[in-house]
Amino acid sequence: MTEPKLSIVDLTKRYAAGLEPAVDRLNMEVEEGHLVALLGPSGCGKTTTLRMVAGLMDPTAGSIVVDGKEITHTPVNKRGMGMVFQSYALFPHMNVEQNVAFGLEMRQTPKSEQKARVAAALDMVQLGHLGKRQTKELSGGQQQRIALARALVVEPTLLLLDEPLSNLDAKLRETMRTEIRSIQQRTRATTLFVTHDQDEALDMADRIAVMNGGLIEQFGSPTDVYERPRTHFVANFIGQANFLTARVGAETGGASLAGESYYKVDVEGLGQFGAVGAAGLSGSTHEMVIRPHRLTVALRPGADQTPVAGTIERVSYTGDALAVAVRVGDQQLQAQLLTSSGDLPRTGDAAYLSWAPEDAYLLPATTSAERLAA
Amino acid sequence: MTLLQTPIAAEKRTDRDEGLLEKATERRNRRTYLALLLPGLLGLLVSFVFPLAYMIRMSFNKGAPDGVIVETFTLDTYIQPLTDPYYWRVTLDTFQMGVTVGILCVLVSYPVALFLARSTSKYRGLLIAIAIAPLLTSAVVRTYGWMVILGTNGLINSSLEGLGLIDTPLKLTNNMTGVTIGLVEIFMPYAILAMISGFGRLSPQLEEAAGSLGASKFKVFTRVTLPLSLPGLLTAFLLVFVLAISTFITPRLLGGGSVQVLATEIYDQTTGLLNWPFAAALSVILLVLFGLIIAVYQRLTKKIGG
Amino acid sequence: MSDVRIFKPRFNPAKPAFGLLVFLLYLFLLAPLLIVCVVSFASNQYLSFPPEGLTLKWYEMLPQESTFMEGMKVSLIVAVIVTLIVLALGVPAALALDRFDFKAKAAVQSFFLSPLLIPSIVLALGMVLLFGPLGLTNTYAGIIIGHVAITIPFVIRTTLMSLATTDTSCEAAARVLGADSWTVFRRVTLPIIQPGVIAGGVIAFIVSFDEAVISLFVAESGLPTLPVQVLRYVENSADAAVAALSVILILISLAVVVVVERVMGLRKALR
Repeated sequence: MTEPKLSIVDLTKRYAAGLEPAVDRLNMEVEEGHLVALLGPSGCGKTTTLRMVAGLMDPTAGSIVVDGKEITHTPVNKRGMGMVFQSYALFPHMNVEQNVAFGLEMRQTPKSEQKARVAAALDMVQLGHLGKRQTKELSGGQQQRIALARALVVEPTLLLLDEPLSNLDAKLRETMRTEIRSIQQRTRATTLFVTHDQDEALDMADRIAVMNGGLIEQFGSPTDVYERPRTHFVANFIGQANFLTARVGAETGGASLAGESYYKVDVEGLGQFGAVGAAGLSGSTHEMVIRPHRLTVALRPGADQTPVAGTIERVSYTGDALAVAVRVGDQQLQAQLLTSSGDLPRTGDAAYLSWAPEDAYLLPATTSAERLAA
Repeated sequence: MTLLQTPIAAEKRTDRDEGLLEKATERRNRRTYLALLLPGLLGLLVSFVFPLAYMIRMSFNKGAPDGVIVETFTLDTYIQPLTDPYYWRVTLDTFQMGVTVGILCVLVSYPVALFLARSTSKYRGLLIAIAIAPLLTSAVVRTYGWMVILGTNGLINSSLEGLGLIDTPLKLTNNMTGVTIGLVEIFMPYAILAMISGFGRLSPQLEEAAGSLGASKFKVFTRVTLPLSLPGLLTAFLLVFVLAISTFITPRLLGGGSVQVLATEIYDQTTGLLNWPFAAALSVILLVLFGLIIAVYQRLTKKIGG
Repeated sequence: MSDVRIFKPRFNPAKPAFGLLVFLLYLFLLAPLLIVCVVSFASNQYLSFPPEGLTLKWYEMLPQESTFMEGMKVSLIVAVIVTLIVLALGVPAALALDRFDFKAKAAVQSFFLSPLLIPSIVLALGMVLLFGPLGLTNTYAGIIIGHVAITIPFVIRTTLMSLATTDTSCEAAARVLGADSWTVFRRVTLPIIQPGVIAGGVIAFIVSFDEAVISLFVAESGLPTLPVQVLRYVENSADAAVAALSVILILISLAVVVVVERVMGLRKALR
């Protein structure tokens, strides 16, 4: 890998002595041109991290390096970044053009060049015709695009987006997602994107940093964090998941592409199954994650594999999909199937669940019970 | 002009909590906010703290005739106002005037405030502005207006005489009656303002709800409207009371020298008799009265507020 | 049949009665201002009713009345300087109180608003006592310093009100875009809080312009302001010249009211 565009080293933020740090020795490297999503629940430190990178907040410890230059103590107005705020933060007393030109003005760009670049930026967000409008007259989506144009027109070292879509309604959010992503890819602006919405992160990001309690729980591509979550938190936060406690037995041979091993596992109360996980898990207890839609639900026992028998406790119909909760022993498993015109299962029906070993993933971390014991 | 301070309502805003946390920790901000505060603090120190402190110090000096001040530290100047029946009379009159003006002012302001709080008219903003605009006109001018209305040849006496209802003019100025009428009107905008703000929980929907439950108009008023407006009424009363006991212009002009309250007494002692320590002691007494009332008020509002 | 009543609004005699009451109370509230206007156009030589005829002579008299013109000059000079000073002192202080966090913040804020809690007669006495030995009585400096105390709270309050409703991320955005602190203040913060600053400024102006008690104590003999002149005139004369002057004062106040109402709402600015 070439030199990263941004590296964050042991970044820590403590709001007051004695308080838990909001960001706790965070490390991350971002490649040039990538869009990285900082994803996590509120209070996980994602916005704090972004504001420290922007320079709006002083870190308690650690450093921030951009293009090989340490900028940890560079004042915010000398960092040359572009930022889009949750509330868009358009200057209410300036019209659209004046808003977009503000950053160029601060850089003392010649007037004629300013004009051309503002026009180009507005064209890029398809709002070239609204330059003379007051920002108050614009819709949420338009304000959002102006904010994006204002951040990008200065050709920022980094583009920072702080929950930019959270004030838009659902439909518009989807459109803007696509648009921001395509503009980002066109401009190749290295971007940090704060969001609490996993769909947004999976859809838009090259890499996702899943944050929890001031720490990055996992940093990886969208498929990584979805298919191969490293922790219970990640598996639970991104998508839906069934968790089963599995005693891992012997390896069954055969390795997946990523160097993972197949195991025989013993799930209490359900029986023995195949599962996949990192090498060297044999002999300990791990959590096994199965995504609801990877469970196959049959209404009568099939011939293949070893189905788990249970009873349907709840059915929720959403048109194209059907979510069912199946009681198996003392646990409830969530499953999902696509609807068809045929018979749909109903509450009280017997159900037989099965899954492919590849879809049962053993979390590398030991279960919390064992962590406590240790 | 004096106003009781009301806390500034925290209004909804975005990105606010983050911002607050942000500023809590920036150490280099320390110099910035000190630099921003310092001019204002110095200004108040010179124009507010020093004069008050100097006055309090002055009250412990001894005043001799002809404006001679004996630098000392004595409570002598306090003994006279606290023992002399004349000053007891003045203090009591001041207090009584405050209570009367407070009650009357609340009575005449309540209907207006109630009307403004419930109004859905598109002119509501304008009507509110008209009701409180007199607050920004000179007290001297408004008092003068009352002299014109209440004077011996004023509007009221001329009208009543013209109608043949009276032979000799009513004595409405140069006495407490005139001062009271004038003060009630002059403090109305304050009372209305305090009431509208205090009626926060009073909504037309509540009254409609009570009505829909079968309460008569009178019942709705006594059981819903009045209890909910009590905090506003109390605030208004205390505000007017506090303003009334310290007011000077109106007692002086409409009282015409025959109404003596603490404020006019302070003026006379200062400029007429040049007994500065004594004037200072009277001021301290007025301040203490003020402090007591505000303390009681804060107790009461805490109780009412829950 | 109480439930029927809800759906059938009948004519309710209480309603117009209440309306009439409110109208009469408004009349009472505005009576002194209205009467002053009437008297100022009445040709009666001495204050009396009813007006004998219409005249502008009282207004024509004003420019010749040197005490009024002198007082007007003093009051204008004082009010303008006081306004500039309290804006310079109050706006930064309000900024510090809203945009920064420090330990004694609540106390400092109360301190800035506390001159409104002190009776102006008490403040006036303190000032004349302190300013006398310093040679500040009967000077512009004395009156101006005196007025700063009672006008600062208005500027602080209206500015804080404006600051509290603004989105701090606008300032953050400007900083990220490369603006230094001063530029952020000049180009972003100040334009956004402009309504509060204007409202505070014009209120400070009118409060200083109309202030009588402090001016009376500090500079009655040597540098009487307009309200002090009016006070003296009212005590000594019975003609209507002062009514004409009062109308002008009322018009100035009205202009202030209109400005404040326009920029941020009178009620919000004065509560």
